[in-house]
Amino acid sequence: MEVEREIVVPEEPGEVWESLTDPERLEEWFASDVELDARPGGEGVFRWGDGDERRAVVRELEEAERLVLDWDDGGTVAIELEPVVDGTRVHVVESSPDFAPAFEMRALAWTALAAA
Amino acid sequence: MDSARSGVDQVFAALGDAGRRSLVEAVATRGTATATELAAGLPVTRQAVAKQLSTLADAGLLRAKRAGRETRYEVTPAPLEDAVEWMVSVGAAWDERLAALRRSLAKKT
Repeated sequence: MEVEREIVVPEEPGEVWESLTDPERLEEWFASDVELDARPGGEGVFRWGDGDERRAVVRELEEAERLVLDWDDGGTVAIELEPVVDGTRVHVVESSPDFAPAFEMRALAWTALAAA
Repeated sequence: MDSARSGVDQVFAALGDAGRRSLVEAVATRGTATATELAAGLPVTRQAVAKQLSTLADAGLLRAKRAGRETRYEVTPAPLEDAVEWMVSVGAAWDERLAALRRSLAKKT
């Protein structure tokens, strides 16, 4: 199952890309402590203030367009940048490690209900 | 994947009607309910309610139990499932992160 989010920011894709790949910039929004070797196959470690730590491997990287990380728990996050008239559309899809389809169905149903 | 997708479509189809959504809520409020009980408080026939309940059960939102001549329905206990928790917490995390990304970019420019 997936969680999908999208925002449009006024900056150019190239600048947003820096925020996705430069560990220092990532520390401003993604995690409190970041190590990332931003190239295909490169490894990343993300730590948060609450003691949480996640490791990832860069599965895909297309400069200023697309970054895909595989989490060590089996999940994946794909971030895509697209130039739009008023800046850059940032599109995020995080996929979970596998849940049974029946759980997924009901989860979707319940979130749909909550949003209704 | 195709079967999962059609399952999801089925759920959204089942919920794509305000009447069905409120039926799920009515069942949840009562714990269990039959079509007769639910129809008593609504300007629709028992048959119409029964049909909707059956659709909701097919989509996995309600669970049907035979009770004599009637079928009792209860809400499946999905809110406690790991999948729901995952969806809610990951969604909230991205809302926060993307807001922080926006602030971080604005600060730099």
